[in-house]
Amino acid sequence: MTVEQATAAAEAGAGVASGSARPATGRASFLQVVRVIWMREVLIYFRDRPRMISAFVMPIMMLVMFGEGLGNSIATLPGDIGYRQFIFPGMVAMIVLMNSVFSGVSIVTDRQFGFLREILVAPVSRTAICIGKISGGATVSLVNGIVMFVMAPILGIDITLEVVAKLIGLIALVSFMLTGLGVAMGSRLRSVESFQMLSQVAIMPAMFLSGIFFPINNVPAWMDVIVKLNPVTYAVAPIREIALSEQLKALPADAPFQITHVDWFGYTLSTWEEIGVVVVFGAAMLTIAIRAIRTTE
Amino acid sequence: MPPSVQVSGLSRRFGEITAVDGISFEVGESEIFGFLGPNGAGKTTTISMLCTLLRPTAGRATIGGYDIVDDPAGVRREIGIVFQDSTVDERLTARENLVFHGELFGMAKEEIRPRAYHLLDRVGLLDRSNDAVITYSGGMRRRLEVARGLMHWPSVLFLDEPTVGLDPQTRRSIWAYARSLRDTEGVTIFLTTHYMDEAEACDRVAIMDYGKIIALDTPDRLKARLGGDVVSIAGPDNEALAREVRESFEIEPRFENDAVEFNVEQGGEFLPILLNRIEGEVRSVGIRAPTLEDVFVSMTGHQIREAEASEEDKLRSMRRLGRFR
Repeated sequence: MTVEQATAAAEAGAGVASGSARPATGRASFLQVVRVIWMREVLIYFRDRPRMISAFVMPIMMLVMFGEGLGNSIATLPGDIGYRQFIFPGMVAMIVLMNSVFSGVSIVTDRQFGFLREILVAPVSRTAICIGKISGGATVSLVNGIVMFVMAPILGIDITLEVVAKLIGLIALVSFMLTGLGVAMGSRLRSVESFQMLSQVAIMPAMFLSGIFFPINNVPAWMDVIVKLNPVTYAVAPIREIALSEQLKALPADAPFQITHVDWFGYTLSTWEEIGVVVVFGAAMLTIAIRAIRTTE
Repeated sequence: MPPSVQVSGLSRRFGEITAVDGISFEVGESEIFGFLGPNGAGKTTTISMLCTLLRPTAGRATIGGYDIVDDPAGVRREIGIVFQDSTVDERLTARENLVFHGELFGMAKEEIRPRAYHLLDRVGLLDRSNDAVITYSGGMRRRLEVARGLMHWPSVLFLDEPTVGLDPQTRRSIWAYARSLRDTEGVTIFLTTHYMDEAEACDRVAIMDYGKIIALDTPDRLKARLGGDVVSIAGPDNEALAREVRESFEIEPRFENDAVEFNVEQGGEFLPILLNRIEGEVRSVGIRAPTLEDVFVSMTGHQIREAEASEEDKLRSMRRLGRFR
């Protein structure tokens, strides 16, 4: 008898007993609801082979295209940080940004194929549904981010395990914030097409004006304003500061410009303060997403 | 026994349009209760209100004692819903869909799997239960949705147009499953339909038109309101037969299709008496029960508009099969 047959037999036996009697009805706790919604998102992701494969292919493509192609023709950075080394944390942030925002599409497809109604008629907290959705998407993003680190040695990136361990926590936080944005968008939109259009319109400037590709403290004044209003900036900076902590320490004090750290009117934000901005923005996104799902009929 | 569904003066307006106009009724425990009416009569709007998906603009309703406005969570635990359009996740397997539902409804872990097994067995999907739903036919999806609706032991199962877009054989099998589940689970079944044969199979039927319930009774009694069965006799001399009927039974017959037709209560019992009493030659006799369609037409003056519905049905069944991707 295989394990499966044994389980089936056990189920059948128990099925006879439970088929007729209605047990006392329970109620799913907040965390149970979060877990079951989260579980479904993750399960669906790991079943989707093309999505899994692209998670591995994307970072290689990105680093080769930007690190080698763009890097060779870009002005030298202060100190001896190679462009590839510089852009690697940015690529991690970009992968997380794209995955997180796009994961909001799941709420649109759930609506389109009716499954959202199945969730919304359950006697459960809408807030829990929303947090479950966001955690699910954030988990997928985090997995994609971690894949980047797994590939790092192969791609010739200098990174220690200690740094990776520190970054995982931060990336989880960033994923949560950006998935919040995706879910907030997804719960307002009715079609996959409009979601894709809007998310691209949102992602493009957020990506290019966040310090992913170039140091943020070496840009014209008008762009400086946009960069500092862009929440993604505050996610990219701490990721880079942690990833490049060794290299940054070795930077000469008289460098022409800071390659990271956001500057507010002459006040330089610390890594923790930048993370603080991420937390505030994440909380705002969560609030908007919860409100959007609450009012969905 | 207390009624499982109690509705009084329930209304819903959408701007200027009154979709549901002050309806009142009760549904008893373990009853199969049907809403019959054309598309746009307010059936789905009523179900949406009872399922707490839509707030009523006026009136009250309770399900299993829970008020639909004051205690929506209580109502939601009491009910299972099978929507008009598919709401299963086709990327998951049948079993996973049921387990997900069970967990969402806070069922105990050790009770979820046996319950899923039992229901999958009851709807005949056990051998396919580990296949992704995307590989299922329309009928199989419906059966899965019925099973899922019953997963958390609801006391009322709502079926909104449960067999729209399915072929006749599949429709019959869905009905067989629904009825056997009612018998074993003791669940009240509340359905909407615009199919006559489906309405005939209900214990009681509410006929709905333009947001109002215009009649509510058992199918037999609704049809009896039309004056019982339609009896027809024919012979070489129909005029003479008609005269005899008029004189011996004080019934005013009419001539239709080369026969003498009239309505009587209990046609089956009346026929032998009729044949004993009549002296003229009778070559053929027939009894026809009036249909709910006859009832609907006589009460509203218009048809249920089957033709109009069928186009929409086709579209819906395509969507249900996931062809709109």
